[in-house]
Amino acid sequence: MIEARGLAKRYGAKTAVDGITFDVQPGKVTGFLGPNGAGKSTTMRMILGLDRPTAGSVTVNGAPYANHKAPLREVGALLEAKAFHPRRTAYNHLRALAATHSIPKARINEVIELTGLGPVARKRVGGFSMGMGQRFGIAAALLGNPQTLILDEPVNGLDPEGVQWVRHLARGLAAEGRTVFISSHLMSEMALTADHLIVIGRGRILADAPMDEVLAGSSRERTLVRTDDAEALAAALGSGSGPVEVRRPAPGRLEVLGVSARGIAEAALSRRILITELTPQQASLEDAYMDLTRGEAEYQSLTTDHRETPGHP
Amino acid sequence: MSTATTSKNPASSPASSSGSGLSFLRVLKSEWIKITTVPSTVILLAITVVVMVGLAALAAWGTAQIVTEFGGGAGSPEAAQAGPPAADSLVPEIPASGLFFGQLLIASLAVVLIASEWGTGMIRSTFSAVPKRIPALLAKNLLIALISFVVGAGAAFISFLVAQPILGSADLTLSLDDDGVLASILNTGTCLALIAVFAMAIGTLLRNTAGGVVTAIGIIFVLPLVVAIVENLADWIPDAARFLPSNAGTQLVTAGPIADGALTQLQGGLVLAAWAAVLLIASLIVTKKRDV
Repeated sequence: MIEARGLAKRYGAKTAVDGITFDVQPGKVTGFLGPNGAGKSTTMRMILGLDRPTAGSVTVNGAPYANHKAPLREVGALLEAKAFHPRRTAYNHLRALAATHSIPKARINEVIELTGLGPVARKRVGGFSMGMGQRFGIAAALLGNPQTLILDEPVNGLDPEGVQWVRHLARGLAAEGRTVFISSHLMSEMALTADHLIVIGRGRILADAPMDEVLAGSSRERTLVRTDDAEALAAALGSGSGPVEVRRPAPGRLEVLGVSARGIAEAALSRRILITELTPQQASLEDAYMDLTRGEAEYQSLTTDHRETPGHP
Repeated sequence: MSTATTSKNPASSPASSSGSGLSFLRVLKSEWIKITTVPSTVILLAITVVVMVGLAALAAWGTAQIVTEFGGGAGSPEAAQAGPPAADSLVPEIPASGLFFGQLLIASLAVVLIASEWGTGMIRSTFSAVPKRIPALLAKNLLIALISFVVGAGAAFISFLVAQPILGSADLTLSLDDDGVLASILNTGTCLALIAVFAMAIGTLLRNTAGGVVTAIGIIFVLPLVVAIVENLADWIPDAARFLPSNAGTQLVTAGPIADGALTQLQGGLVLAAWAAVLLIASLIVTKKRDV
């Protein structure tokens, strides 16, 4: 359980995290989604006490991270920036971390096996591939068998097999009742891994809801259209007002956002264009996300009188 | 894939109940593992011993040469004419001859040990495991001080042994029972230990290996040289120069009589200890507050 209250971080004039409040619940995977520079890593470092908040507070299992008697047994973290000496071997790095909490050697071997590091455990970490480095970081995070896992961009640099491995790992840990907080800028990955989503942009929370609610919250309908005269239909739809977007995935096919199926049919009828297929789609996380961040962009251009309406609370 | 070995109900039981937590002894052990598992550290310590012993052997050989060539007993008339210091009055300090370069190498090592944690990002792992931070820094300082003491005193003692046959060839004797010899050998270690803490504090404050090494060596080596050049410009300069870290540290290993106006062994030790303590405290305060 992670609880952030009015958490803020400013570096000089730049605001990285702007007074955010959220809970990360045990028993599910909570995705922390946002573009690069949105404040994800800063927030995670503040949870671990590595960065001091400018304002607000954050606790893990009821207390600030630094106040726990056995921090590594409470929280395991994979940080985005590297956090090891390249000339030390993986095994010795884990041994040094384990020593602080008297974590037994058996557990070190366990996490090495679990993350598939066995063949390289006695090699220097500096020579690891990016994927191996991520597995190594995850091994360090799991070392204390912690109740809460914080993984900052864990699938970065992993091959497809590794990505799937992280997904299974995260879901497995959550199924055991642990708190799993994963940041990513990859929406497709988040859609497959997370149960709950916290979307952050420019240091502020844009959405904090279960995955299906975020998906349902997308205001733009998405419809696949098959027609003989894609050109004319696209022109007909494009002339309408509002946030309409027409994509052309293949000849004779259109992907229309922001217009209802009925609206498309009416447009086609009025121009006497033949439609052979009209399939409303469930909104993708990408659509929902684009909606959220588009709201953000609009907000940015508004005057300050409208501060209390940032779009999707 | 099933991933973890325990399957307790997490909502009800905090994980800390399942195992042991932090303690200073454990942090000390962790820092020891960190120091001994980067090969360059061990190599640099070995080099320090070799260089210090080599310099002492050279000093012993030089002293033996001078005494053989010119005589040099303190009581002999030639020596009195040759002017101070009589060659054999330097004999008790021969084991500490490597002190100067020992300081150079130990100071560099101390800076590297802490600054490289920032340079490599290791500090994030360190402070994630020990989020109160100060125990980790204290443990590292304690270990580098102990290691430096053992290396310094050990090198001085080996120097003492190596010097025996060389001095013997000129009929000079050096015994642990002689006034100040044993203290000088031990204090070679004390001086290096204090210099190590001093340098590690600089490395902690600057968080940069190159900058830290240059600054530490600048204060320990270059500053005394600069001061020596300008010391005739004002009366207070030589007075103040006695309190520079390296000048104070050198007094620690003096075995003969103390020159007029110079610090005694104890005073020198206290001055160097004060330098180390002030910088150490500053580095702890700054690190406690800083983002990493």
